[in-house]
Amino acid sequence: MASPPSKPNPKDLVVLPCSGLDKEAGSASRELALILEEKGAKIICPVLFRHSQERYAKDIGTGNLLVIDGCKTGCATRLAAEHGLKIARKLNITEALRSMGSRPGKNLRLSDNISNLLPSIAQEILEQMYSTQVVHAADDVFRKNVTYREFSIDKFVFRVPESDYFFNENDCWARVSENLARIGISDYLQQRISDIILFEPPKVGTEIDIFNEAGSLETTKIAIDIISPFSGKVVAVNQEVVEMPEIINQDPYERGWTVELELYDRDSEIELLMDCDTYFDYVKNKAEREYKELYGS
Amino acid sequence: MSENKFMGVPRDKIPWYPEIDYEKCNYCMDCVKVCPHNVFECRESEEKKLVVANTENCVVFCKACAKVCGPDALSFPDNKQILNLIKKLQKEVKE
Repeated sequence: MASPPSKPNPKDLVVLPCSGLDKEAGSASRELALILEEKGAKIICPVLFRHSQERYAKDIGTGNLLVIDGCKTGCATRLAAEHGLKIARKLNITEALRSMGSRPGKNLRLSDNISNLLPSIAQEILEQMYSTQVVHAADDVFRKNVTYREFSIDKFVFRVPESDYFFNENDCWARVSENLARIGISDYLQQRISDIILFEPPKVGTEIDIFNEAGSLETTKIAIDIISPFSGKVVAVNQEVVEMPEIINQDPYERGWTVELELYDRDSEIELLMDCDTYFDYVKNKAEREYKELYGS
Repeated sequence: MSENKFMGVPRDKIPWYPEIDYEKCNYCMDCVKVCPHNVFECRESEEKKLVVANTENCVVFCKACAKVCGPDALSFPDNKQILNLIKKLQKEVKE
């Protein structure tokens, strides 16, 4: 008999909330942190943390840090970045509430409506971070070995697969098999943005239009969108990359895939993309041009 | 002449770049920090301290700057409309 799925056990979860007092979203972040605390998580007070990091040294060491931002200003994320904290998961409470048809306002106190939605957001986070129910990616479909072509500019070596991949001009790739595709960013793009510290994935089940965002990446300095080469439904997210985004830097075309899509319109959309040979010439030209602009000849 | 093209279409024919709503912008300059393509320019001594100076540097379909904009002051055109325009221009280029 199959055992029932285990309940999330967030005893190693550490929450750094925004707690801002300039709008309702700050109060919502704080309240969400309190709900998670009741379920076993530990809270880092952002105000105290600024002045007394050592108080939280033990908690931060668990490596399971959830940052809750109230709005796009991202104060909690910035605080984490300033102190070099490794973020396991990031949540923007305004966006999470918007996806549920609600919108925090300017009032500082929490409305009943938003207050009622927070427990389900907490539950969803815990399920995503701790559930034993894994969405299985189609590993068997994408098992075939990948062979590469390379070009060099100065000390930089760039790889492009020899076949089975398609690229858009945003330097994002799709590896296609039947009606499934894995997507990711090219070796050129990962070298250009350098050390990736955060992959924010879309939710499984999200429907993505061609050339729309399919998650985003952050380095210590910049952020980029992953621009999807195809339309489709997200059927899997690479959890290994969510936990260790540096894998994209190490192996951008294989272990570094980000999202798996069930394609809607493969045959017509493929016409808008470049095959491996075309992308090789395109990206070589682009990299050479950029090198010249930066370093002269 | 510029060789700057996107999907075979001259980049200057594709109106993809952020627009700043100056009523909302608080000049935090987060967009400047997050964008690696120098799309924005800071102008400390002017009334509009931030401008979209290099529109063709903006990566078509990327909205990373809008995502970090706290006051929601940046907007982009509709992706589908831009894609349709690119397809139309691709046909014209081929003809």
